Amino acid sequence: MADPTREFFAGLAAQGHTPLLQSESGTLRFDLKEGKRTQRWYVTVKKGDVAVSRKGAAADCVIHAEKALFDGIAAGKVNATAAALRDAVTMDGKVGLFLFFQRLFPGPSGEQGDDRPVAGYAKRRP
Amino acid sequence: MSYELVQVLDGNTFVVSDKCGDIEPSLLDATGLFSFDTRFLSKWVLTVNGERLNALSTDDLQYFETRFFLVPGTGTVYIDAKLSVIRQRAVGNGFHEELTILNHDEKPVDLTVRVEADCDFADLFEVKDALAKKGSYTTRVADGRLVLGYERETYKRETWIEATAPAAIDEHGLTFAAHVEPHGEWTTDLHVITASGGLGFHLDRTKYERNAKKALPIMEHSLEKWVGDAPRLECDWAWLKTTYQRSLVDLAALRFEPVAFPGQSLPAAGLPWFMTMFGRDSIFTSLQTLPFTPELAATTLRALGQRQGTRVDDFREEEPGRILHEMRFGELTAFEERPHSPYYGSADATPLFVVLLDEYERWTGDTKLVRELEYEARAALNWIDEFGDRLGNGYISYQRRNETSGLENQSWKDSWDSISYHDGSLPGFPRATCELQGYAYDAKMRGARLARLVWRDAAFADRLEKEAAGLKRRFNRDFWIGDRGFFAVALDADGRQVDSLNSNIGHLLWSGIVDKSKARAVVSHLMGPHLFSGWGVRSLADDEGRFNPIGYHVGTVWPFDNSIIAWGLRRYGYKQEAARIAAAMFDAADFFDGRLPEAFAGYPRELTKYPVQYPTACSPQAWSTGAPLLLVRTMLGLEPIGDNLIVDPVLPVGIGHVELLDIPGRWGRVDAFGRGRVDTRKKSLRRQELGILGEYKPTKTR
Repeated sequence: MADPTREFFAGLAAQGHTPLLQSESGTLRFDLKEGKRTQRWYVTVKKGDVAVSRKGAAADCVIHAEKALFDGIAAGKVNATAAALRDAVTMDGKVGLFLFFQRLFPGPSGEQGDDRPVAGYAKRRP
Repeated sequence: MSYELVQVLDGNTFVVSDKCGDIEPSLLDATGLFSFDTRFLSKWVLTVNGERLNALSTDDLQYFETRFFLVPGTGTVYIDAKLSVIRQRAVGNGFHEELTILNHDEKPVDLTVRVEADCDFADLFEVKDALAKKGSYTTRVADGRLVLGYERETYKRETWIEATAPAAIDEHGLTFAAHVEPHGEWTTDLHVITASGGLGFHLDRTKYERNAKKALPIMEHSLEKWVGDAPRLECDWAWLKTTYQRSLVDLAALRFEPVAFPGQSLPAAGLPWFMTMFGRDSIFTSLQTLPFTPELAATTLRALGQRQGTRVDDFREEEPGRILHEMRFGELTAFEERPHSPYYGSADATPLFVVLLDEYERWTGDTKLVRELEYEARAALNWIDEFGDRLGNGYISYQRRNETSGLENQSWKDSWDSISYHDGSLPGFPRATCELQGYAYDAKMRGARLARLVWRDAAFADRLEKEAAGLKRRFNRDFWIGDRGFFAVALDADGRQVDSLNSNIGHLLWSGIVDKSKARAVVSHLMGPHLFSGWGVRSLADDEGRFNPIGYHVGTVWPFDNSIIAWGLRRYGYKQEAARIAAAMFDAADFFDGRLPEAFAGYPRELTKYPVQYPTACSPQAWSTGAPLLLVRTMLGLEPIGDNLIVDPVLPVGIGHVELLDIPGRWGRVDAFGRGRVDTRKKSLRRQELGILGEYKPTKTR
């Protein structure tokens, strides 16, 4: 069965670096509720370098959501900011970190946040 | 909005009430306590012994604090009242009201004091449309507190109401049994707290609960520092000083703290309905205020950069690299019934973002922020050609993709009939308005400077400059209407010139896209009788088909527009003309107690003798507030060159001297002085001669 959340984080891990988070550092923890269980993902950002894991320590921003809803966000069907405005996604800690991170979610077409090399940028910073 | 309504505000929390301090559901005026685009009180009515009160006076103590002096009885005949009622209200995470009743009689009195409260939790977008709510309401009395609530799925908003004096609380309000001794007083504090979720806020942990016993305005402590940190203006022209002070205080009130950047503020677009981040308005206001309060520009750049578009989303009109138009926080946005999370439908904010970044560096020398925003700036430059150029003809044009709630006109003149042909007819879409091409040109030139200086990418800089030169060449060919001697306001979808004369040509001077050989003709039009009213440059010339002196973008005079035009005139060496515009604006400001409105009517100055305000619900408006500041800059000819600030003053007739002291920038703090001519034969300082203009011949002074 398709698992957009898993695919999203796997894609992020494979990518390893994104200029969309070039100026950011910190750890995000996603607590995604599935019935009684909570699926947990950690994303550590260091100046654009991204690492994904299922275990971690302290997080700068903890994000809570239903797994089903997050699947929608990961697939581009649900807008993360709107979901946060209606508390379908809630967060503790550095809200700003999440607001940077949301740039990575795909749009309605399912295509991931665009971080193609623009105007020679990525070329100079591998 | 009725002049009898009173507003107090702090950030995006504000109260609109009648002159007694009461809030009642009204079809004509949107009153209430609002926060994050949601109404948290739609009813707040005070009675004493069942009677409404009558206002004696209302004092605005600060923008976040008002005092209402009231007496019982609402009749027209003034009765020698034995009671006075004082409500003092301060806004901050809701509001705090100090209610005091004074007994002037020699006998004690026992009173029933009642405050009725209710709330519809309407989204700002719903207030005037009276839309039916989809969620459900709750009311509870618990722990000495009345809690009004609203719930829709996970979305919850509550209003908590409590008092310091003993009260009987029911679901519709609070009742006090007040005993007041002869010449004594009775008092209670009323706390109204907005308990809000969304974007990291938690309903059960409001800022109010954590920090204070009272709802204290966040900005209160910083107002004095804010004004103190800005340069000091000295002048022999009293109302220029008044206007300058008014602008600084209004700017303080317009500060908006983005959720992601606590402790930093950017200029919101206007009070009270536009207390949110707008790409265009926040950028223009930041540009206007850079020499005075540069921290506004820094926060604007950071916050807009953070929310820069990264994906294609037709509903929000988001595109990679695009800078947002408007952010909203209410229920309709939260449930994706409105696209403001954020909405990106603006064609100018993206190039203007790059323009601001460069201008900011020129003033502050803050290369760290320029490095931090390198990706965003490059993505914005990329947007211009990849997405902004919708027809592939080398020009930015716009056509909305959200056909239901998107904006038709995505440039600053955003009303439906703002772009018209000489005969008054309207072009189709996409529309490539001229000022967009100017902004794109300037963004490329400034981007090139940053690439060379900060990003150390000479190849990119060369490419941008080459593109800019090509754009300038094509623009001066395709937009120039040779037989009339000005630039078309737009090209339509077929590449045909939209041939009316508009104030937009002044923005072209500011951007530097105008060929030197064409500048003189452009200036003649700007200062000529069809565009220049005597109170400023009209948005549309008075001999155009669609001209209307009280039409929103088709004849009125906009102070913001004029300040940018004055900057453009300076850029091309027309210092006297820039001073003339400054004079017209400052004269107008005097009629509005130093607060320039969004726009005023385009009647000729000799006809009305005073500027007729355009009726608007938004005052102060950020870029009108910023206009006098930019005009002080253009009057003094302030220009950062390298690590120095160049001062090249040309003052309007009637101003003897202007001093601007402690101007912040990469040089630390410096002072600027200007001397002018004062015509001592004139009794009045008001320059009526501004209104009497025939064919205009520019006087260029280098």
